Amino acid sequence: MTSGTMLKRPRLITSYERRHKLIGLAFAIPVMVFLLAFVLYPVLYNVYLSFTNASLIKKTSSFVGFDNYVKIFSNKLFLKYFWNTIRWTFFSVLGQLVLGLGIALLIARPMKGGTALRSFLLIPYVVPAVTLALVSKWIMNSDYGIVSYWLQQAGLLEARQSLLAMQGPAMWVVVILNVWRSYPFPMLIYWAALKSIDKQIYEAATVDGAGKWKTFLHITLPQLKNTTIVLAVLRIIWTATYYDLIFMVTGGGPSGSTTHLPILIYQASFGSYQIGYAAAISMILGVLMFGCIIFYVAKSGLTED
Amino acid sequence: MKSMKTSKITTGILVGILIVFLVVIVGFPLAWMALSSLKPGVELFTIPPKIMPQNWSLEWYIQAFSNPNVIRYFLNSLLIASVVMVVDMLLGTLTAYSLTRFRYKGRKLILICVLAAYCVPPIMLMLPLYKIVNAFGMPESHIGVIIAHLTVTLPFSVWLLVSFFKKLPKEINEAAVMDGANEMQVFLKVELPLCVSGVLSTGIMAFIMSWNEFLLSSVLISKESMKTLTVGLANYISSTHIDWGIIMALGTITTIPVIILFALVQKYFVEGMTAGAVKG
Repeated sequence: MTSGTMLKRPRLITSYERRHKLIGLAFAIPVMVFLLAFVLYPVLYNVYLSFTNASLIKKTSSFVGFDNYVKIFSNKLFLKYFWNTIRWTFFSVLGQLVLGLGIALLIARPMKGGTALRSFLLIPYVVPAVTLALVSKWIMNSDYGIVSYWLQQAGLLEARQSLLAMQGPAMWVVVILNVWRSYPFPMLIYWAALKSIDKQIYEAATVDGAGKWKTFLHITLPQLKNTTIVLAVLRIIWTATYYDLIFMVTGGGPSGSTTHLPILIYQASFGSYQIGYAAAISMILGVLMFGCIIFYVAKSGLTED
Repeated sequence: MKSMKTSKITTGILVGILIVFLVVIVGFPLAWMALSSLKPGVELFTIPPKIMPQNWSLEWYIQAFSNPNVIRYFLNSLLIASVVMVVDMLLGTLTAYSLTRFRYKGRKLILICVLAAYCVPPIMLMLPLYKIVNAFGMPESHIGVIIAHLTVTLPFSVWLLVSFFKKLPKEINEAAVMDGANEMQVFLKVELPLCVSGVLSTGIMAFIMSWNEFLLSSVLISKESMKTLTVGLANYISSTHIDWGIIMALGTITTIPVIILFALVQKYFVEGMTAGAVKG
């Protein structure tokens, strides 16, 4: 071996590796370009819009500074809609996590037909929101709906009355519907997390004489803590910004009792055409979500190898 | 000993009751929709409502499909979801391959961007995309909606695909490179065939998401003949005169394909999601 080849070899590898790395990067470029053009640019464009008086029915718009934000916070109803958003998000997320965990505990037990049951319970994950909306409007129809009929027979509801037309219950109805369609995701994640808990811990606890409830409280729950936090944050992002279900079931009514920020953004955009104002509302929602997104990206552990 | 046995039986019974209860809660809305769609008009509006149709009838399906717009909605949804599925599979696989098989600067940044994009909700993209699509004169084509659906499905697809690619042993790749194959050849001939099922099931999930999407489709399409099924259906429910029978029939036909497709890919979906969706 001469010193010449000794010197040459590393350089060869470097140039090969550099080419290799460049090609690897090239494979990711189409998606990156797409995301920059159609996700990042729109988000920034939204920031810009929120400082203008842009409208869908006017050709020109001008910079108005923080006017839209001032207008939002001086609107007394905004607080109500904001509170609706919090209630909707809190109870939807709480409901789906509790139900998801409960079902995961149930299907994590070894039993006959367990896989079939799990498959069946995942169905709501793919049922279109429009389907859930039309069924719920049908079963809660004041005159012919079967659920309304049952409630009316039980004396819980007046004749020809529907829960969807009542200010108080309407929010609970949409929350329950939302829990119905969104529990499968937490169920799946909890199910996987439960399976990954070391069986030996349970065996040790049983030997020590811990009962079922005690092992659940002191072993299972602490093991699920991180999963729960990450799940909750992800679901908060998706729920607080979720528009379809409320729009199709109640349209934000009756009397704004189910209007949350996404509905408000839509109404401001396509109801009164004030897109600058609408962009400012979505900025408020966006800033709140931005914190959650950063938290999720950092804590999910998904970007680690 | 005896008390332990009885307690085991009681738990068994309790679990059984819970399972039946869950199955009813999940199945009832869907079953009720399908049953309602098969009831003739008189039975749909009887009080008290009967669970099973007394005279099964397909009249609502016939009426629904006699409306030429309904067929258009179907074809539109099918077209849009198919294009979204193919683009997702192509671009998504390339990206997942890049992210799992190469080590370059900025790789982590790309991972973070994809994950952050996965979290950006449609309601925040609605207005800007509407402006962009209109500025480019695209409301007369489906391209705008397809782009909008890709903003939702692509990050999800990349994510699911990464979890499939991660499972492949690296050695295969390295052996092929030693034999002088270039990166594209390795990708097409070695890696892709090994995760065909993962790629296909990701594509089908993207198809389902696009088929179900409502908000962006409703904003980006104004022409009746271009609407998707979900948008067309939502218009039916919010109209003043609601034809319940037709709506139940349409809802049933919108939902059945999705459930069938999901049943086909579920195994892979569960594998992919639990491997990488949320790590504790």
